[in-house]
Amino acid sequence: MSDANQNKPSTQQRRTTSESPPSGGLSDRTLAMLLIFPTAILLLMFSVYPFLQAALDSFYRVPIATRIGTFVGLQNYLEVFQDPGIRDAFFRSIVWTVANIVIQAGLGLAIALVLNQHLRGQGVSRGLVLFPYMVPAVSVAMVFRYTFNDITGIATFLMTKLPWIEDPPLFLADPDIALWTVVVVNCWKYTPFITIVLLARLQTVPLDLYEAARLDGASGWQVFRDITFPWLRPVFLIALLLRTIWTANDFDVIYLLAYGGPLSATTTLPLEIRRLAFGEQDIGLASALAILMALFIAAISFIYLRLYRKSEEQLA
Amino acid sequence: MAGQKALSQRSSQNESALDSPVRVGKEQSRQKLRRALGRSTNYVLMVFFVLLMALPLVWMFISSIKTDQESAAYPPTILPQAVTFQAYVDLFTVSDFGTYLRNSLIVATVSTIAVIVISLCAAYALSRFRFRLLRGLGEISLFAYMIPPILLLVPIARLVVNVGLANNLLALTLLYTAMQLPFGLWILRSYINGIAIDLEQAAMVDGATRFAAFRHVVVPQAIPGIISTAVFTFNASWSEYLFASTLMTSPSKVTLSPGLTLLLDQTGVYSWAMLMAGSVVMVMPVILLFIVIQKWLVSGLGAGAMKG
Repeated sequence: MSDANQNKPSTQQRRTTSESPPSGGLSDRTLAMLLIFPTAILLLMFSVYPFLQAALDSFYRVPIATRIGTFVGLQNYLEVFQDPGIRDAFFRSIVWTVANIVIQAGLGLAIALVLNQHLRGQGVSRGLVLFPYMVPAVSVAMVFRYTFNDITGIATFLMTKLPWIEDPPLFLADPDIALWTVVVVNCWKYTPFITIVLLARLQTVPLDLYEAARLDGASGWQVFRDITFPWLRPVFLIALLLRTIWTANDFDVIYLLAYGGPLSATTTLPLEIRRLAFGEQDIGLASALAILMALFIAAISFIYLRLYRKSEEQLA
Repeated sequence: MAGQKALSQRSSQNESALDSPVRVGKEQSRQKLRRALGRSTNYVLMVFFVLLMALPLVWMFISSIKTDQESAAYPPTILPQAVTFQAYVDLFTVSDFGTYLRNSLIVATVSTIAVIVISLCAAYALSRFRFRLLRGLGEISLFAYMIPPILLLVPIARLVVNVGLANNLLALTLLYTAMQLPFGLWILRSYINGIAIDLEQAAMVDGATRFAAFRHVVVPQAIPGIISTAVFTFNASWSEYLFASTLMTSPSKVTLSPGLTLLLDQTGVYSWAMLMAGSVVMVMPVILLFIVIQKWLVSGLGAGAMKG
């Protein structure tokens, strides 16, 4: 009885801000601090500290051998804008990200809609279609390196069988084609993410909206345009935001498939940053470029979030 | 807006329906035909999408049960002329694949357990207490999730060397734990937020300690969140390449992702069967996990992840 009376106010306080009386030895504050301690330490060590260190490095010229930097102010940042190699990598990153997002958005939406038609075999198909998302980047790179091999690759070989093709494309060895090959492979792996998210959202469309539209005799396209798509839009935007960030940051798939080549044809910004840091050993320049890339991605994210807010308002 | 358009559509249909019974019959059969056509188009598309997504994996497996010679032969064969599992045997006897596999299993398993325990604690604190410091932690964790990994590579490499953890699997384990914590934290927090605090209070009124209430009331209800966190953490740690290839350079500490690329460099293009076998082995645990979570993947996980 007295126990219950003591508990009630203390939990109410706990839900707001409190320095509530100790229950069972520890005060709420101490308990909370203990619970978050490991998280705080790990985030400080592996996110906050390295981030600040990289920001600091970007103002220094840091030889990797001695690791004793000299302060150079904004010189690294100025160099980022003057270096032609970096400029090429920047435009490559834009092409890479935009191509990936456009293809994944279209294909991911199409697959989600088809797999939501209650066709026979839908469950198994969903499983199979979503699976590439879980396949490790290295396995993906291996099988597509093999498939697109210049000589023995099955895709290259089958291309030679097509009557209108004289020379099969060198999928990963031709600098004009390599980036597109990697885009296709990356879309294969990551389109399922969009599909997963959209399929989940499709399960929650208010059925009465569909029912009303059906009674009104709306066509399939009208239903999609006026009901389904507006319902999907906020979640779609968030999924695309995440995919944009991850695609712009992506290192593994591009690097493992093409190592940035041939002739730096697949060197996007993350690969260029690593090359600057470990190849050229110019940590200051690499850090400045990485910071600018992070800021650029943050700016893009901001646009997405505004669109997201607008689409949420339209739904309400 | 939607209603207006639909309404005008209806009135035009009503007019045609009023015309004559014959027209109605024709209209109906035409609609039936159109529906059947749409349905078969959907089936064709479904099969196409499934093939598109599944064929590369099928090809990976088929190529892994060919002989080395056949896998690198021109012209390439579609089906194996002689089925052999020699590539799998070679993988574990000729190459160091076994070591890579063991290292990856250790790192992925330990970091998965660590992420669950640590983020469950923090998510509980974030959900049940309100202190300014906690809100700060939530924001930092979101921010951490958005930092480009490449930005952190050099400072983390330096940090790991400075604290004497270079070529120590513990470094990778800690790093992966830190990298996946924000995901676990947000997923689990949204689950715990959904668990009524009254249930916990009731247990505590009945004399349970706070920890007992946490274990017997909160944890069981957060199980779907715990499983999706586990699957994603394991998958991420299992597949990671960038940091693993930079931090683990001694041959006995190499994990699967960099290990398989080492194998590619060593064998050149003469042993595709072995490389495909390695890729298949690497996909295996992921298939198992996938089967485990498939049930909720569409309904639960997607929704949970988006709530974040």
